[in-house]
Amino acid sequence: MKARWLAISAVLFVLALFAGSNMRRLYDPRFPHFSELKPGPFAFTDATLTAAGFRAPAADLAWIQLLQYTAGSVPELQDRPGHPYEHLAPMSLRVSRLDPSFHRALLFGAGILAWFRGIERPEEAVEILNEGMRRSPEQPLYGLYIAAIAYKQQGDRTRMIELLESSFDLPDTPTTMKAILANLRQSHGEYREALSLWERIRANPRDSAEHGRAKAKIVELRALIAGAPPAKR
Amino acid sequence: MKTISAVFAYTFKEHIRHKAWLSSALFGLVLLAGALVVSALGQDERPRLMLDLGLAAIEAISLVSIVFLTVNLILAEIESRAIFLILTHPVRRADYLFGRFLGTVAAVALGMAAMALMHALLMSLYGPLETGRYLAALGCMLGKTAVMGALSLLLSLALTSEAAAMSFAVFFWVLGHFSSEMRFLADRSGSAFLKTAIVAFSHASPDFAHFNYRDFWHHAAPGAEWLLWAAAYALAYAGACLALSVQLFEQKEF
Repeated sequence: MKARWLAISAVLFVLALFAGSNMRRLYDPRFPHFSELKPGPFAFTDATLTAAGFRAPAADLAWIQLLQYTAGSVPELQDRPGHPYEHLAPMSLRVSRLDPSFHRALLFGAGILAWFRGIERPEEAVEILNEGMRRSPEQPLYGLYIAAIAYKQQGDRTRMIELLESSFDLPDTPTTMKAILANLRQSHGEYREALSLWERIRANPRDSAEHGRAKAKIVELRALIAGAPPAKR
Repeated sequence: MKTISAVFAYTFKEHIRHKAWLSSALFGLVLLAGALVVSALGQDERPRLMLDLGLAAIEAISLVSIVFLTVNLILAEIESRAIFLILTHPVRRADYLFGRFLGTVAAVALGMAAMALMHALLMSLYGPLETGRYLAALGCMLGKTAVMGALSLLLSLALTSEAAAMSFAVFFWVLGHFSSEMRFLADRSGSAFLKTAIVAFSHASPDFAHFNYRDFWHHAAPGAEWLLWAAAYALAYAGACLALSVQLFEQKEF
């Protein structure tokens, strides 16, 4: 009976193989393959964290770096003069390739690329939204944003805003996109609508990043509606 | 059974009183506090970051603890010759090994529970926590920890060197997260021999990629049946490693 434990081990290993195949049959996590991670200044960090089994935290750190980049403080990624946010699309895609469920990163990037004043690169926005749609077809906001961009390019501003507003309260809608929408309303003199949007932003705890701006905008818009000049900030 | 529970109790107390266990649990709590600070940079995704980074911190600390503790579990006793004293008593080697292993896993699980409690309290600041899913994620992490513990014990007995056992444990940890990638590579491979070899290797290494519940928390949730199979997998794989460890331990001459 010298090999008794060896035999037990073999039986248990076969059981593990059987349980493993059932586990894989019942659920297969949809993560992009390692080869889809693109080279760049953060490739080593991404590869290390992914290899160690920390994919979601890697995507979270990539999201923080994306936010820092949009705030203009990532030394590794400096934009050339006249090319604002030139790394925005790859940075947004990086988050999504680490964790495709991070929809907000792509929506955030697409929102800035398509609607930020002075940027207006809708083709790039559509490109990243298409990748998002390919990876997560169940996410309705990708298709909705693509349709909104199409209306924008056709000059159908009313339908574009209606479409974007229909997604205003959805949990994946980025706060930045809500602010863009409110500003779009204000830039066309629709102060009451803009005020209502800022009030909704202020009431939502998830949008706390824009609460300070929302407070100031509400004061400004109320003054505009009352006919008084906007208060100096 | 009586021997196993006696060794279990002694091992559990030994670990809890050890400075290394206490420092790793404290370090885990510091990491959780760090997650609270780092997540503040995530703006409207703060709850998500807090969840991911907190769970990752708990898992990282548990991994380091279990590998460090199990690698030293028997080797340290062989080195200090304390093992002679124990084995002169009517203790079966298998019972001794099971008791030691279970006591170690229980000590690490206690540390995980303390960290998870603090994490859950911090998470409650951002709204209600999905308790069922949180427990499922913790269960998967415990499964990974138990498998790593059994594997590290086996490696320590097979290699008889702490450094080599730890290095191989880390190697298997990484390999375990590459199980899906290995099968993907096998599918792409043109050579039938290479394909078979890669598939065999991917099955022999622990399948941690499918155990990362905390990584696919934000995806569609797997069902209860999946969880049962995952538990069966962890138990069977850890059991297979333990049985091999017993085989090696029984063949050792002191």
